[in-house]
Amino acid sequence: MRLRSFFNGAVATAALACLATPSLAERLTVALSANVTLLDPAMTTTVGTDLSVISHLYTPLVIRGPDLKLQPALASSWEAVDDNTWRFKLRPDVKFANGEPLDAAAVKWNIDRILDPNQKAPVRAWLSAIKDVRVVDPTTVDLVTSSPYPSLPDQMSMIFFLPPVWSKSHNPAIEALGSGPYDLVEFKPGDRVVLKAKPNYTAGPKPAFDDVVFRVIPEDASRISALLVGEVDLISGVAPSELARIKNSGKFVVGAVPSTRMQFVKFNNLKAPFKDNPALRLALNYAVDKQAILDTLFEGYGSLNACQPLNESYFGFNPDLKPFPYDPAKAKELLAKAGYPNGLTIEFEVPLGRYLLGAEVSQAIAAQLEEVGVKTNLVEMEYGRWIDKFQNAGNVGSLSYLGQSWPTLNADGMLSLFETGNRYSYYENADFTRLIREARSTTDEKKRVEIYKKATESFCADPAHIVLFNQPTTYAFADRVKWTVRSDDWFRAVDVQLAK
Amino acid sequence: MKFFSALLRSRNAVLGAFILSVFVAGAVLAPVVAPMAPTQTDLRGRLSPPSLSLTEIGKAPLGRDQLGRDVFSRILYGSRITLAVALASVVVGGIVGVGVGLYSGYRGGLPDQIIMRVVDVQLAFPLMLLALVVVAAVGPSIGNLIAVLALTSWTRYARIVRGEVLALKHREFILSAHTIGANPWRIAFQHILPNVLMPVIVVATLELARVIVLESSLSFLGIGVQPPYPSWGRMLAEGRSYISSAWWLATFPGLAIMLVVLSVNLLGDWLRDTLDPRQRERRQ
Repeated sequence: MRLRSFFNGAVATAALACLATPSLAERLTVALSANVTLLDPAMTTTVGTDLSVISHLYTPLVIRGPDLKLQPALASSWEAVDDNTWRFKLRPDVKFANGEPLDAAAVKWNIDRILDPNQKAPVRAWLSAIKDVRVVDPTTVDLVTSSPYPSLPDQMSMIFFLPPVWSKSHNPAIEALGSGPYDLVEFKPGDRVVLKAKPNYTAGPKPAFDDVVFRVIPEDASRISALLVGEVDLISGVAPSELARIKNSGKFVVGAVPSTRMQFVKFNNLKAPFKDNPALRLALNYAVDKQAILDTLFEGYGSLNACQPLNESYFGFNPDLKPFPYDPAKAKELLAKAGYPNGLTIEFEVPLGRYLLGAEVSQAIAAQLEEVGVKTNLVEMEYGRWIDKFQNAGNVGSLSYLGQSWPTLNADGMLSLFETGNRYSYYENADFTRLIREARSTTDEKKRVEIYKKATESFCADPAHIVLFNQPTTYAFADRVKWTVRSDDWFRAVDVQLAK
Repeated sequence: MKFFSALLRSRNAVLGAFILSVFVAGAVLAPVVAPMAPTQTDLRGRLSPPSLSLTEIGKAPLGRDQLGRDVFSRILYGSRITLAVALASVVVGGIVGVGVGLYSGYRGGLPDQIIMRVVDVQLAFPLMLLALVVVAAVGPSIGNLIAVLALTSWTRYARIVRGEVLALKHREFILSAHTIGANPWRIAFQHILPNVLMPVIVVATLELARVIVLESSLSFLGIGVQPPYPSWGRMLAEGRSYISSAWWLATFPGLAIMLVVLSVNLLGDWLRDTLDPRQRERRQ
């Protein structure tokens, strides 16, 4: 009898637990197409994977909402005190999970860490104008720059802050102790990142999901099947030809939004054959039929880029420039002028898993280049290995297929990717570099637009890459959730709600 | 002549030989037979379905792939790469393996012990993993692919040859060669080698089938033959993303792999039965 009542009690407790679980712990599973390489916010500029995960763990000064407007985060307000000083007012109540305060001193420690040349932070080039970080009081911090830096608040939307004391005894690349809405439960590079919502998070909107799991699924077809069988709730980077099929399989929402990311075939202009050969760089731009690629592989989604590394969503976009026309005859003429009347053979590196239809687009481009006499040796490699060559080793192949965007949506940040001396640039255009430095030193918006116009013209006359197109951001998600899809690459769990 | 009449007596062997000769002929005559160059793209015609019917053969008998390349032409040219890589690696692996096996068996003693332990270690190591690691380290290219495939197969020859040599070493004709003072090279190559060739040929045929599958697997994983050159494994991998909308992309290269491996295996089995004297005795 006593045994029996014990069982009854146990069953009742278990039943209660079952009833309670769904409302307490809603799980959101997100498929990522590329690996999350590390969690140290200073050591990455990859928005779609690393920084998106980091933004769940840590807090930036300001944050960009799904509408692409800046919103307060750690900073409740900010203003330019004078031409060279930005003042950020911080919220007083933001703390790291171990109780360390995220105050002005912590902000200073983090920015000084990024600026330390020994740290080799990839984002340092964009903050190097910061001369001094002044702690006015615990909730006020001044960023003093050596020249005016009007887009600094935009830039700060991708800078996150580590706890200074904790970081002394831990490795922030693989561990996390954050101030954001989520705690890190598990980080398995190449496989998954598991996050759990902080029960007492007050510094921002409360997320709708208690558990967020990022799963790395590089293979497009596997990502789609994971969604179809309900293993993941949302995916992006879906081949456009698959959208209709997913929609027709029932409980899914699909679509595409224009992306702020621009795709191109990067030249390594620092080595032969592209070094000091502008005619060759132009020739390749005339040899690729970009519109045909959009019409077929992308089923008409996406739009051509004008002859500049900016599109309409960026401040400083030059509306006067037009895309290079497809003109194989002119390409051949320019090839002869470049010293290759009989064509040449170039290596073409293709990072896999990161760009929509990357392998197909690269092969299509390779075939078009071959028609004008440029043979390519395609080398496919895992994205992580390629980015290491590109970003750290400084020996990227003569051609590589990639896409870039800059989270500030400002010509200043985006064009810096092509500034001589920037590690991502592989491009030497003295005129262009002088102009963007000039633009950086004035706060007059009109004047900046004028200078960017000249800079983009200079780029167009001597392009750093084969200008291609904005690829569409395609997405699909289970209809149990509602996702506000954004056109920049950020993914944030707070943009997802449970569908009622 | 006796060989061919023996072949014709076995239905399986005839079938295998027939399928294999069709693929070999396709590989040799690819430039004549293929309707398009294997790397020529035609974006407007991408994913057009096979135009093969009972009454006519269309321009793309097996359909077009995701870049508008002709699947039939790619399979023809792919057979060149697949067969050439497989043959080359079987030959390289065979020469190395037979050489090592002869030395090891004939020399005996400590060198033999060391070589056989190396063979044991490599046989215990998963070959697919070994191939993956090596290609990842030295980079993908056709030369490297052949080297890696040969690396995975020399051990089998070495083992078999060593065993045969050990059995032959103490036979009278070898001992008499010794007695009249023949040089060891002469004994190994003139007297022993011809007597171990039969089992080597059998191993080589079976290895050929295994190596074709391994090459396809490596290409499937993207570390074999690099695009845009066609390889069956690679075509299979690329077609996988389109399997729901364009079945012909993955189906035909998959069939090609299956048929070639089947035909080589049929021939291999028959060869083993025919060349192995013990088997022959049993049948008679």
